[in-house]
Amino acid sequence: MTDLAVRLGPLRLEHPLINASGTMEIFELAEALGPQIVEQPPVAAYVSKTVTLDPRLGNPGPRILETVGGLINAIGLPGPGLATFLEYELPRLLMLPCPVIISVGGFSTDEYVTLARGLRDSLGRTVDGDWSERVGLELNISCPNVHSGCAAIGADPGETERVVAAVRKIWPGLLVAKLTPNVADIAAVGRAAATGGADAIAAVNTYKGLVIDRETLRPYLGNVTGGLSGPAIRPLALRAVYDLFPAVEVPIIGMGGVATAQDVVDFISCGATVVAVGCSVFREPCLAGRLAGELLSALEARGFSLETLLGVAHAPL
Amino acid sequence: MRDRTLGRVVANEPLGSMVRLSVRVPGWRAAVAGQFALLQAEPSRCFLGRAVSVSDQRGERVCFLIAPVGDGTRELCSLAQGSSLWVLGPLGRGFGISALARNSGRTVIVAGGVGVAPFPLLVRQMAEGYGALAAQVLVLLGFRDSVQSLAADPVREAVAASEGLGLRCRLEVAVEDGSRGPAEKVTDLLERHLMPGDRLAVCGPDVMAAAVWRVCSRTDGVQAWFSLEAKMACGVGSCHGCAIELADGSAARVCHEGPVFCGREVFGD
Repeated sequence: MTDLAVRLGPLRLEHPLINASGTMEIFELAEALGPQIVEQPPVAAYVSKTVTLDPRLGNPGPRILETVGGLINAIGLPGPGLATFLEYELPRLLMLPCPVIISVGGFSTDEYVTLARGLRDSLGRTVDGDWSERVGLELNISCPNVHSGCAAIGADPGETERVVAAVRKIWPGLLVAKLTPNVADIAAVGRAAATGGADAIAAVNTYKGLVIDRETLRPYLGNVTGGLSGPAIRPLALRAVYDLFPAVEVPIIGMGGVATAQDVVDFISCGATVVAVGCSVFREPCLAGRLAGELLSALEARGFSLETLLGVAHAPL
Repeated sequence: MRDRTLGRVVANEPLGSMVRLSVRVPGWRAAVAGQFALLQAEPSRCFLGRAVSVSDQRGERVCFLIAPVGDGTRELCSLAQGSSLWVLGPLGRGFGISALARNSGRTVIVAGGVGVAPFPLLVRQMAEGYGALAAQVLVLLGFRDSVQSLAADPVREAVAASEGLGLRCRLEVAVEDGSRGPAEKVTDLLERHLMPGDRLAVCGPDVMAAAVWRVCSRTDGVQAWFSLEAKMACGVGSCHGCAIELADGSAARVCHEGPVFCGREVFGD
């Protein structure tokens, strides 16, 4: 039987399927669908919504619209801020039976460091023993829907390396840099993140886009622009992962329009060790678990293991 | 683990400009009136399901009243008997039936257009829970024209059935274009009938909801709960796409904290 377990830095994942940040509020899902989803999460690691230092309301509406093969959003990182997150959200995240990856987003290098330090200190106080096998950190340096910091950092290799290196100095656990695809050379940004000390690269965040309100003929979203996701962007995201794979030695968390087990195979072939499901979970909340099961059959049917499939798209036929 | 379920259309009944879709949903958990489900035809040209209020239910047979306003709802309205669709639900926070039916005063249901959708179920749940106490319910419905007003039929059926359970229930319909009696709005009916102490369950267009709240605020001791509509992606509180700003400046997700909100939360004092 093929083994689906993978390592992501110090984390051991039972299978390669996780969620993209901001697409799954697991406790809200439990209220809607029942407690089984937190008792047996469909994801092998749970990635939180992006936490910011200060509370944020997010962007004015409308924030979301379905597009062909996906959706565009400009949510704008609403959230209660770090202090409330640490007090109320982190304790219950630590009760999940799978590793958790906390996504943080900031507007300057200092903010990312403050977020990481706050999380580290809180874990040190509340967790007995070594937490680094259970908790990772993802630097969201790629949100297209806030007007400074974040994606502005991830668009620049120098800034990316500086932020990652600054956090690396004080964060002992898994450190993931989540990249924006809205750059000319994503491999250069990936290399910078790895040089800065990232243990893994997540790619990609959403593609910056715009939709027009067909009555007013003005931009539909309250934020004017938004981020496009869903199957429509899958070939673009695959290309990003394909470009990153030879550029970095650290594992890649691939994502962008994953909806089927074949899509997962595509991402692993391009070089993703871990694959995240994003907005397709809005159609099917437990999608990641189903895809993990189907991935096993797909691998066995083709005679691949995860190791032999990884990056196979780069090898001559 | 509960996830979306493949349902099957058992009936598609056109009601004027809308459609009442009856769906057999294996394993359906009973909804509270005001809750909704995400529905998506299978196969579908759309990416996401559409949030549709639960209109009635008997065991695994669930009714939805749908107005064809966009690609997703048009697709749902065209589903023939035997067709498949994905159902995720029931979702959200519905009407607090015990708060609506407290043992003094009266419950007033106010609905406009497709906003009538949750009320066959509410009338039935009030009859089942409070009919024996001879609770009093006044149903006021407003429609643009006589074609749209055919969507009143499911509520009319529920009102008729509720009498057998002891509910004292009365229904009035306003049609704005004057094609069925005087040209008037549902808020005109409300102005005529609203009494101090009434408790309201409201669902309809934003403009109507705001007008209802203005009428309420002129009468003493009225409480009102509003079922709101919003474009949703996940329907379960994950994406924050349907968030609205409440009167106190905080944000709330229509799908998770709602869709039913206390009037004071939405409109302030």
